[in-house]
Amino acid sequence: MDHQQIIKYLAGNASEAEVKEISSSDHKAEFISLKKVYALTATSAEDSKRVWKEEIARRIRRTDNLRRLYTYTSYAAIIVLFFALGMVVQKQLKSGRGSEMVYASNMAVDVPLGQMSNLTLPDGTTVQLNSGSHFAYAGNFKEGERVVEMEGEAFFNVAKDPEHPFVVKTKSLDFKVYGTSFNIQAYDGENEVNTTLIEGSLGVLSKSGKEYTRLVPGENINYNGTSKELTVKNVNTDIYTSWQKGLITFRNEKLSDIAKKMERWYNVEIQIEDPKLADELYFGTIMKNKPIDQILEVFKMTSSLDYRIVPRPGKTTLIYWE
Amino acid sequence: MLVEPSDLNDFLFRQFKAGNESAFEQLFKAHYNPVVGFCNQFLSDHDKAASLAQEAFINLWMNRSKIQSSNGVKSFLYTFAKSSCLNFIRHKKVVSKYEDRHLQDMETKINSEVLDSFDFDALEFSEMEALIFQSISELPEKCRQVFMLSRFEGKKNKEIADELEISVKSVEANITRALKTLSVKLAEYLPAVLVEIIMHYMS
Repeated sequence: MDHQQIIKYLAGNASEAEVKEISSSDHKAEFISLKKVYALTATSAEDSKRVWKEEIARRIRRTDNLRRLYTYTSYAAIIVLFFALGMVVQKQLKSGRGSEMVYASNMAVDVPLGQMSNLTLPDGTTVQLNSGSHFAYAGNFKEGERVVEMEGEAFFNVAKDPEHPFVVKTKSLDFKVYGTSFNIQAYDGENEVNTTLIEGSLGVLSKSGKEYTRLVPGENINYNGTSKELTVKNVNTDIYTSWQKGLITFRNEKLSDIAKKMERWYNVEIQIEDPKLADELYFGTIMKNKPIDQILEVFKMTSSLDYRIVPRPGKTTLIYWE
Repeated sequence: MLVEPSDLNDFLFRQFKAGNESAFEQLFKAHYNPVVGFCNQFLSDHDKAASLAQEAFINLWMNRSKIQSSNGVKSFLYTFAKSSCLNFIRHKKVVSKYEDRHLQDMETKINSEVLDSFDFDALEFSEMEALIFQSISELPEKCRQVFMLSRFEGKKNKEIADELEISVKSVEANITRALKTLSVKLAEYLPAVLVEIIMHYMS
């Protein structure tokens, strides 16, 4: 076989029989080095001026605005906090006891740790809530004000109603929906919002209501509360929605983060004894609806972790990872 | 010329770091098509290649504070492209042009292997690149012309043949010759296959 066959393949013109011949081990090394040269010297005929104008410039301006906005909101939050503190102190001075939390909504659900919950809203939208989530909507929801608030993780299947957009509010981002299904992770303790669109179209809004981007199916948007950065990427959506079926996939997650999640799902307390263990990365899938001791066995077999279960009467079970 | 090209590069890079959009636009226009071409080599799906390349640039912009030198720009883009392509291939989202299952698997395997063997560490990458351009400039005149038209201007063999008034066969032969020379020159960056290549040319 000569080089010309390989070139034919690289240019996409080789027949199946010729490709088979190239793949034989005699030529593989040569093929790899040629392919590298080919890839590094490749180009395409895209109109970079158009792509710049229509895609890149538009998208970077959005992320920049978003970043600036978050700097402002963090100042705003401090001011609001001062006001709030002032009010609580005043109220306590007047009444002599702690203030009570008032819900501005007519319906609120708190899913206990270790449980999941299914809801159907008045408009036919279904919501599956993962454990430790909070979900609420106001009394005027029925009149077409489709606005809900959430914290934690939820999978939405929103009923189509072009007249009345459906809005989901989380602590740091809002989402505007046009009849669609998607998954949101926005647990308070994790400092991140992670939203994955399965089908339809989903607008991502700043807390002030400005639309920054619109997701297309298969896209995931991540907002990191620490770095204040926003990243959009294409993902394998199964990973983000499999929790509904009880399947959980970890993709190189730190054991310390996994422990936080397990605490939520099983309502236990986990203490990691070895700091090195906390940073270990784990890749694998578990069945969440199995008893916790079975799950721990799986971890024991597939990572360097060992565990000890300490039942505590009247309190949550304590588990040591060592 | 008022400024040396390398100074210009440095200037552009500093502007880009400072968040200057037109500097980023220059970088985008210089590197976008090569990155699309790179991805397309492994995905055989032009639209997907373009969208991965765009993602690489968006992430470059968002992470510009972490890029240390002007060489780091390309190294970031290609590292991003490499890992996006690998992800894509591993999740079997690539639509193969072959019906034969064995061929599909073979292609997935070879593509991952080629991608895996790239090291876009900033220094090494710029050396590798310099070596490619050095080697191209050392090619015989006709050979270099054909190769540049084919690889950098993306022309079809037939078009090159017409333009240079030579046969298509001769175009193919020249591309083969150029690639052969380049792959030998690049051998030191491909340690795994070095020995085999030398053996091949000695025999």
